[in-house]
Amino acid sequence: MAENVVVTRLKKSSAAWKGALFWTSAASIVGGLLLWELVGRFVVKKVLFLTTPTQIVVEIVRLARNGELQQHILVSAAEFSIGVVFAIFLGIGVGFAMASNKFAKRALGPWVAAFYATPTIAISPLIILWAGIDIWSKVIVVVINSIFPMIINTEAGLRSTDRQLIDAARCFGCSRLQIFWKVSLPSAVPFVFAGIKLAIGRGLVAVVVAELFGSRAGLGFLLAQASDAFNMPLLFVAVTILAVTGMTLTWLVGMLERLLMPWRTAVDQES
Amino acid sequence: MTVKLQVKDLCKSFGTLEVMRDINFHVDEHEFVAIVGPSGCGKTTLLRTIAGIEKADRGVVMIDGRALAGPGPDRGFVFQQDSLFPWRTIWQNVVFGLEVNGELNAQTRMRAKEFLKLVGLSGFEKYYPTQISGGMRQRVNLARALAINPEVLIMDEPFSALDAQTREVMQLELLRIWQQGRKTVLFITHQIDEAVFLADRIVVLGRRPGYVKEVIQVELPRPRVLALKRTAEFGAYVERVWNLIEKDVHASIQEDAQAPV
Repeated sequence: MAENVVVTRLKKSSAAWKGALFWTSAASIVGGLLLWELVGRFVVKKVLFLTTPTQIVVEIVRLARNGELQQHILVSAAEFSIGVVFAIFLGIGVGFAMASNKFAKRALGPWVAAFYATPTIAISPLIILWAGIDIWSKVIVVVINSIFPMIINTEAGLRSTDRQLIDAARCFGCSRLQIFWKVSLPSAVPFVFAGIKLAIGRGLVAVVVAELFGSRAGLGFLLAQASDAFNMPLLFVAVTILAVTGMTLTWLVGMLERLLMPWRTAVDQES
Repeated sequence: MTVKLQVKDLCKSFGTLEVMRDINFHVDEHEFVAIVGPSGCGKTTLLRTIAGIEKADRGVVMIDGRALAGPGPDRGFVFQQDSLFPWRTIWQNVVFGLEVNGELNAQTRMRAKEFLKLVGLSGFEKYYPTQISGGMRQRVNLARALAINPEVLIMDEPFSALDAQTREVMQLELLRIWQQGRKTVLFITHQIDEAVFLADRIVVLGRRPGYVKEVIQVELPRPRVLALKRTAEFGAYVERVWNLIEKDVHASIQEDAQAPV
């Protein structure tokens, strides 16, 4: 019985190619977790030195059952999202002011440059001292850590608008306002997104660190508690949740990017 | 024949650098005029002045006898490559001029569709500029300029970024499109054969400062075909223009070589 074997080369755009890409990352994740589990079970057997993925899952389920986990997540999520949303909008506003007004640029520029280069996370204890131990002090820490990349990227994006495009728009009779809305702003969108990604990354770190310095709830609080008691499964729970959150947010921003910048995706598909 | 676009006594200096001195020429209605000049002949400044985004020190630009005060939809521009808005689809690019002038309605949309068809890009409405070739992008550029139904079509080295074969095809296409409505065209180029092939008249500019050296009437029959480029008559026109600017071109090359790096 002759079997018909059809060999086809995978085209880069084909479903099979995309499937292969997907299974590569899936295999990598599963393989990594499996290796971790095996090492934890058979090589480094002490929970204190290496907690295995299954132990982490058990701990997550235990904490979720008594409602403790949700409470901590909720507090951190509130601090993070209020802070980051505020940083994004205020950052775009300030970046816009600096790009469109020379005086604003001169007045704010040196401060922005100085704060952007400083690890402002270091002053979080001071902020907690000023604003108290509840969520608002963390919101402030998130804002001052996330806002500067937003400002700098928005300003750079608005400034770097292609001269030729602006000239073209002027030749078609665009007013200054129209040039802003129809040329500068859309061409700044990729920069703004790069800023949002940075803001999210910095914001996540800021929330945790600020909570470590002083808090009554939150994932950072959980981390501090766990490390004080050498409760490694608990520590890994907090770390796992933060890692998953980071990945999810990056993925969400990626989706939003594709939605708002279809012309960029069009390029990706070509290459 | 009536004069459509008139450029009168244009002078412009940037500081101590004089870029245009008494530039005078006109384009008749339905006429195709090309401007040829070596680099440093001030054609960029001339173009920006005609566009209304640069102010001349002296002199005026007139359309139908009215002096122009700024940019307006009476002039449609076709630029060098990459002046399409990358975040807009082909269709959104074509209607850009209508949109910003508040003239986007059912009637103008129909017209824009017609022009898109005329340049051979029906069906590409939803594509983005990055998804089409350089030649196609210049067709969109042309459709965008035509869509506002300008009095004068001004083209700034529109084919300079294209490869030689695509350029020849685009020249033919441009003539085919021009033949349909006989828009008044001002075409700026540094390719002499392109100017001879396309134009009714050629304005030859000299450099430092830019001035009109000579205006040459091109008496080649229309419609023109590519075979025309191999005739002796065509060669004679190219030769004549080349002789006019040769010295200037050498001077500009020398100057570039001496410019501090």
